[in-house]
Amino acid sequence: MRHILIIDDEDDIREVAALSLEATAGWEIVTANSGAAGILAAANPTRRPHAILMDVMMPGMDGPTTFRQMQLNPEIAGIPVLLLTAKVQGVDQRRFADLGVAGVLFKPFDPLTLAAQISAALGWKD
Amino acid sequence: MTTLSWIFFGMLLLTVFLLGAQALRLAGRARAQQRSIGELSEALKRSQEYAEQQKSKLAQRSDMDVAKDEFISTVSHELRTPLTSIRGALGLLSAGLLGNVDAKAQNLLRIASSNTERLIRLINDILDLERMESGRAPLKLRRCSILDLAREAIDSMTPMADGAGVALELTCSAPRDSIYFDADPDRILQVLTNLLSNAIKFSPEDSKVFVQIESDTNSVALKVVDRGRGIPADKLDAVFDRFQQVESGDASKKGGTGLGLAICRSIIQQHGGAIWAQANQSGPGATLWMQLSRSARASDTNLPSLVAGPGERGEGLILVCDDDAGIREVVAEQLRQHGYEIMEAGSGEEVIAIARAQAARARDHSGLPISALLLDLYMPGLSGWETLQRLKETPATASIPVVVLSVIPATERTLLAGEAQGWVQKPFNENLLLAELGRVLRAKAGPGQILLVEQDQSQAKVIMGSFEQAGIRMDHAATLQQAVDRCLLGAPDLIILDLTLPDGDGFSLVDWLRRQPALHSLPLVVYSSREVSEAEMQKLRLGPTQFFTKAKVRPSEVEELVLGMVSRLRNGTPVAAA
Repeated sequence: MRHILIIDDEDDIREVAALSLEATAGWEIVTANSGAAGILAAANPTRRPHAILMDVMMPGMDGPTTFRQMQLNPEIAGIPVLLLTAKVQGVDQRRFADLGVAGVLFKPFDPLTLAAQISAALGWKD
Repeated sequence: MTTLSWIFFGMLLLTVFLLGAQALRLAGRARAQQRSIGELSEALKRSQEYAEQQKSKLAQRSDMDVAKDEFISTVSHELRTPLTSIRGALGLLSAGLLGNVDAKAQNLLRIASSNTERLIRLINDILDLERMESGRAPLKLRRCSILDLAREAIDSMTPMADGAGVALELTCSAPRDSIYFDADPDRILQVLTNLLSNAIKFSPEDSKVFVQIESDTNSVALKVVDRGRGIPADKLDAVFDRFQQVESGDASKKGGTGLGLAICRSIIQQHGGAIWAQANQSGPGATLWMQLSRSARASDTNLPSLVAGPGERGEGLILVCDDDAGIREVVAEQLRQHGYEIMEAGSGEEVIAIARAQAARARDHSGLPISALLLDLYMPGLSGWETLQRLKETPATASIPVVVLSVIPATERTLLAGEAQGWVQKPFNENLLLAELGRVLRAKAGPGQILLVEQDQSQAKVIMGSFEQAGIRMDHAATLQQAVDRCLLGAPDLIILDLTLPDGDGFSLVDWLRRQPALHSLPLVVYSSREVSEAEMQKLRLGPTQFFTKAKVRPSEVEELVLGMVSRLRNGTPVAAA
């Protein structure tokens, strides 16, 4: 069973994304409403996520900052991170690719194929 | 919920229009202040005042540009955030994933869902159009094949055509060597898919949509012919305007945004081409044409086959050698996206075998020669150093340019002085890799020549400095007269033009260039301190033309674009001879 951590400051989006992944892929979802809470959730040794889906624009630590913080912690640095962004400017995408994230997904996402998009980005076959 | 969404959308439109109107008002005022020809004694004083006023207007305008950019960026984020929740919730409900819904509710959910999709497409299209028309989406020009692009577009639209019971048929009457042209392939693909999607939407079931390519020495043309209800004669031009539909209700019935053809027109105009609609001569339906200018290149005839893969856009064949397959894959993917064709080698031994085999294939024209080798230094077996030595020992492979890709910093490149032409340190950044590879490939092609027309000496210095390292020769003209004199001496590869000149302006230079047979299709980069309006752009187009607003782009972006344009245009027949 895959565990996915969703980090987004919008309550509604967390809920919809979680429902979507649970209903379409049967994954187990943990959510966090800020970058800081996300780092704590990722570091929980009893429920280490297989992947993290993280919003880019968040108050406080934004997605890229949170990602860089995660890379400093060897325990969670290896967890693949997918950024979820509502902007589609080419420049942003290139900036994210330079960061070293596993992929970038776009809002508004399709709730029926979100899990498939995550699997494809991470090369998951199951 | 649709009402709500429309309110969001309305707010976006209204604000975008208000900003646009404000820009027009400012532009109008600026024009009104044109110097009147009065008494000479007054003229000097007035012209000074005018210059001062213009300066402050320009400053205001560029502040407004920045504000507008931020606004668009924020709006795009703010609209997409609620739409994400709406789309997610509706999608899950209407798919029945959370339990069954009765038929009436199901129908309402379907309506809400499909209108959400439409709203998302609309927002994307509006932002796309806005970005293009403000010059924030510069073209990434490279050598493309119209046949490949048409095939790619047809492949991606086949599912939609199948769904509508429409067949797509491609014919190409162009000679094999005249299907290549300079364009931004992603943008042209966007035009082709838009044209196809329109044709499919308006085609009756069991009919065909024909895609025909016609090209000659100077142009590439493609038409999409459908057997639909056609376009009335009085709407043939209007269909390219925003939110124009032939019959009311088309947008909602056909699921379009009303912006597809406006986007097509914007893209084609940016390429300096033409797009138009025609009624079919015989039978019902419409024909949409697009035409782009092309200049022939000697290298076009050497391209390996008509059925070129998406990566084969004429940038050259790069052999990537690294013992780490992951790194090879990343490098290969990045280079393919920029039009290079890639071969991979996992060891020094493989490099030597491939290089020799490929040299033999290039000799009998059954394959491309290797344009450059990207080489890792630390490898098990034959190291990078040894590999280089071996390559140099064989005449057929001795002249392949080499770019070292290593964890060793470039400061140590003297270790391999004379043997490797380029150096990129790992972990590398895509732009650096592309720039270094481009530099090495260009060095082989000889220096380029750019004419910079810029009245401000200090700005000219900055721009020229940034090109110095790239091995590009740059001439500088500070006045209109100097620019004309320089062009009469011989056509440069490209002109970078500032619009403000002491003895005239950029418009008069372009006007003059257009009338010179040897210069009328030169590539041009208009680099101006103020925003250039759509109407002005029309007056400023030469060959492939790009527009930049000084405050909006970094000099490095201009440099990257210009270098790319020069290297592509120099490889074959000079553009000016077209």
